[in-house]
Amino acid sequence: MVQQQVIPPEALDRAFAALADDTRRGILTRLGEGRATITELAEQAGIPLTGIRKHVAVLEAAGLVAPEKVGRVRQVRPGAERLDDAMAWITFYQRLWERRFDGLEAYFTLQTGAEGNPTNDDRTKGTES
Amino acid sequence: MSERETSTTGTETSDTIGLRMSRQLPAPPEEVFDAYTDAEKQKIWFSILDEEPGVVEISVDLRVGGTQKAVWGPDRDTLFTEVQTFLEIDRPHRLVTESTGWDPSGQSMTTHVVVTFEASGTGTLMTVEQTGFPTPEVRDFFETEAWNGAFDRIEAYLERSGA
Repeated sequence: MVQQQVIPPEALDRAFAALADDTRRGILTRLGEGRATITELAEQAGIPLTGIRKHVAVLEAAGLVAPEKVGRVRQVRPGAERLDDAMAWITFYQRLWERRFDGLEAYFTLQTGAEGNPTNDDRTKGTES
Repeated sequence: MSERETSTTGTETSDTIGLRMSRQLPAPPEEVFDAYTDAEKQKIWFSILDEEPGVVEISVDLRVGGTQKAVWGPDRDTLFTEVQTFLEIDRPHRLVTESTGWDPSGQSMTTHVVVTFEASGTGTLMTVEQTGFPTPEVRDFFETEAWNGAFDRIEAYLERSGA
């Protein structure tokens, strides 16, 4: 039996708005690997703590991330609402498949003796056709 | 049906969300299939682009009912695991597996994976379709917007609808 649930439009708008920012997408990608502290997120993004807090607040409001206290340490994890599991696991698998595609491409490029260093070529491009 | 020839088929299930990714690879399907499924070759290419050495362990029992296990990560404390059980093996065209992934915290998720290898020019178009992710209500969000190379489209959508 298919469960049909409708996302409230305003929730979707918040999610889209939250995702329309490179730093926030970076935060979500990082959280796909596991929870992190604000400090860790700030270090990874290379922006000040106050800036990261604002981004995290936007993601929180959209239900994409959720705060979590471990002892006295405040951490951020993928959201408690609707996108948490799907986001984390799709990120997990997306990275895994990208790694596989990139690795295979580099492997065959080296094998066929094509010119260029595989770490420099345009390997992230998808296929068009 | 015509899975082998058709690369544009949409996801047919209505109660799952899915992931679909393709890559053109510069080798014929037989070579790609073998490199993808051979444990020793996997050990080479799986970490070929890693800048720092990490953990990569791979074992493969390539027969229906057999499993392929991959364990990887930057260090022993941060390990990811994927175990795929082979459901269908059609060298060099198609592989169907059930995949269970574990993140470093030990949480797991099981999904259905179809990998196809289509001759394309002098190379191979390798496509993965993965279904069975949780949270059906965000299916459309992920399938149509989030992952199909389309964060840009989200921004366009926002500009159209918001401003």
